[in-house]
Order: sequence, then structure tokens, then C-alpha cells
Amino acid sequence: MITTPDLIESLVAGAKPVRRLRPPAARAALWLLFAAAIVSLLAVSHGLRPDLAERLREPAFVIGIAASLLTGVLAAAASFVVSLPDRSRLWQLLPLPALAVWVSTIGYGCLTGWVEIGPDGVRLGEVAECIATLTLTSVPLSLAMLVMLRYAALLQPARVATMGGLTVSATAATALSLLHSLDATVMVLVLNFGVAALFVGLASVFGNKIFSLVAPR
Amino acid sequence: MSSGPHDRGHDLTLVAEAAPSSTHSRSGQERPAARELDWSVYMARAQGGDREAYRCLLEDVTPYLRSIAARHFQNSGDIEDTVQEVLLTVHVVRHTYDPARPFGPWLVAIANRRVVDGLRRQGRSRAREVALDIEHETFAASQANLAETASDGRVLRDAIEQLPSGQRDAVRMLKLQEMSLKEAAAASGMSVAALKVATHRALKNLRKIFARQGGKT
Repeated sequence: MITTPDLIESLVAGAKPVRRLRPPAARAALWLLFAAAIVSLLAVSHGLRPDLAERLREPAFVIGIAASLLTGVLAAAASFVVSLPDRSRLWQLLPLPALAVWVSTIGYGCLTGWVEIGPDGVRLGEVAECIATLTLTSVPLSLAMLVMLRYAALLQPARVATMGGLTVSATAATALSLLHSLDATVMVLVLNFGVAALFVGLASVFGNKIFSLVAPR
Repeated sequence: MSSGPHDRGHDLTLVAEAAPSSTHSRSGQERPAARELDWSVYMARAQGGDREAYRCLLEDVTPYLRSIAARHFQNSGDIEDTVQEVLLTVHVVRHTYDPARPFGPWLVAIANRRVVDGLRRQGRSRAREVALDIEHETFAASQANLAETASDGRVLRDAIEQLPSGQRDAVRMLKLQEMSLKEAAAASGMSVAALKVATHRALKNLRKIFARQGGKT
């Protein structure tokens, strides 16, 4: 085993100038900008849902979409804050109020969805398009977040992965509400857990990779 | 998803008296706040690529990290492993330190993570390994088994005494004195074949004698 003074020598020998991270709020804003760009591109290519103007007059829909958007924004901010080693864990609670509102409207949406769509209202094409929209939003957003938070793999991977998963899920759900007539609540929930699991898995793999790259042991 | 066992590390705090003074112009009376300010300045310079400041910082924090690790591990190897893990993590995530904020909490948060990892690793290895302690050594050592060997030897010699003279001589020469067949033939005047037969019968008889004795006891 290498001795501690030798380790210090090797770390000092390999010490290059590093660029400090920008403040977490700025980094969250950068990520949200990227998310907005992705959703806008999808809106342009796919088109907004036909009944959007009409749905926007319904308070439940407006509250739901605003809550999912707010959850996404707050969870993004919380992700970037808790990814730093010395920040309070209480930042994790930041998106919870918005999340509670969003989750309560999901229940309502689910119910009305069943009633509105009925037994023959859902076509396979719509479901497939929904899945495509979810993938197109969540994959690039997850990757961007993973790259921006890769150092957190060494610090608090589970916590940051959970926040990141919530951020991406809320953003994808917002995009889905704007683009599709289908209330794909179940898919969004599956995605929520799926993305969090993906983050935890990748974070642990990345953590080891980074370590073995740096550590002369 | 909760951070679960991660929470255990949070009882660690920056304890001034726990950090011994280092070799770098530190007097024992120096206030921890001033020392922390030094660390902050060193780290800010190290982020800019100043290797000497980086070396000072790492050498300076090592005794402090050792004191944190020593509160959780008894084994000096485990303590040193943990210190090295913390130093490696500090190296990898040094860009996340913001010089506008205090250095102590940043360092302690990283140390907590590695202490918890170390405790988990220790828990895993303890679950599948048995440490050799002094009792195992005593029982395995030949000195501890002298009495048994001596009594076994006596029983064997007594049994050999009961054999007919030809068999007794053959066993003594070939087994106890470890002579070769040729040497034994020369010493006893018996043929090699006769010696082999005598030894074979002697061992058969000894087996019978021991079986009788074993049956009695």
C-alpha cells in the first residue's frame, strides 16, 4: 500500500489548475435553459396538443402543469445545491410542496383520463408517440444532468440521483402535458423511478471509474 | 428514496482540539478559525494550479483527517486507508470548493462520506471473515499440543512392545528410525521381502491393538 506522504506527493505532482464550479443557481438555470430548448424543439416538430387552448381554461389542468413545471425548476435548483459537499440536506425539501400539488393533480388527471378517453379512445399510435416524447425529453436531459453532476458520484450519489430523477421526470411530464392529449400518468411515474434507478446505477459506475483514473493505488 | 445509512456521518463536526498542529508553521495555540482561513487560501491557490500551496494544504489537513478517522476506526491501517480515500476525493472534487465559503464544513462533509464508506466496507468484511485472535494461535501452535503428542507416543511405543519380535524390529527400523529397506536388511540380516511382510503384519496388528483400546475407552 502507498504511504500517505507518497500519495500526497503524487497528488501534488498531478495537480493542474481547475475551473471552479459556477454557483448552483447559475448551473440550474443553464440546465433549465437546455430543457426549455429541447421542449421547444419538440413542440415545433410535433406541434402542441390540439386542445391546449381549451384545456388551459380548466383550473385543474393549469394547476397540474404549473405544479409539474415548478417541481422541475425547484428540483433542478435542489439537485445542483445538494450535489455540493458542504450544503445542507434540507435543500432536498425545496421541491416537496410543488411535488405534493403535482401528485394530487396526477390522481385527478388519471381519473378524468379514464372517463374522457373511455374503452376505445386510446389508440396505439398516441401511446407510442407519448413514449417517443418521453424518451426524447428525458434522455438528453438526464445525460446533461449526469455530466453536470458527475462529481457528485463521489459525494452523495443517491441523494443527487433522486433529485435529478425528479427534475427530469417533472420536466418530461410538463412537456407531455403540453404536447399530448393523453394523460400518461402511469408512464410518467414509471419513468420517475426508472430515471432515478438509472442515475444511481450510472453514478456508482462513474464513481469507481473516476476514482480508478485518479487514484494511483 | 432516503439517503439511509449516509446519515450516520453527520454527527461529525469540526472539532478544534481534535486537529493536532502540523509541521507547517502551526503553533498549537493558533485559533481554528485562522487555520481554516489558511486552508481556504491554500485551496483557492491550489485551484489556480499552485502546487506548493496544494502540498501545504494536504499535509496540513492530514493529521486532522486522521483524528476524524480515529474516532471511528481502531485499526491504524483502516485509519490510514480512510485518510487516503479522503485525500483522493478532495483531489477529484477540488473544483467544487467555493473560496467564499468556509473550508472546514466542505472538508468534513467529504471526510464523513469516506468514513461511512469505510464503516460499510468494514461491516461487509466482518460479516464473512473471522479474525485470528490469540486463542487460535495458542491452540494451533505445536507447543500447546506437547502433552497430547507425548501421550500418543507412549501409547504407540507400548503397543509396539506387544508385537512379536520380528515385527517389532521391522517397525522400529523402517518406521521409527526411518531406515531404508536395504539398510534395515543389512542391519537385521532379514531379506527385503521378509521385512516388507513383517512391517505389513506389524501395522495390521497395531491397528487391531488400537481398535481394541479404542473399544475399551
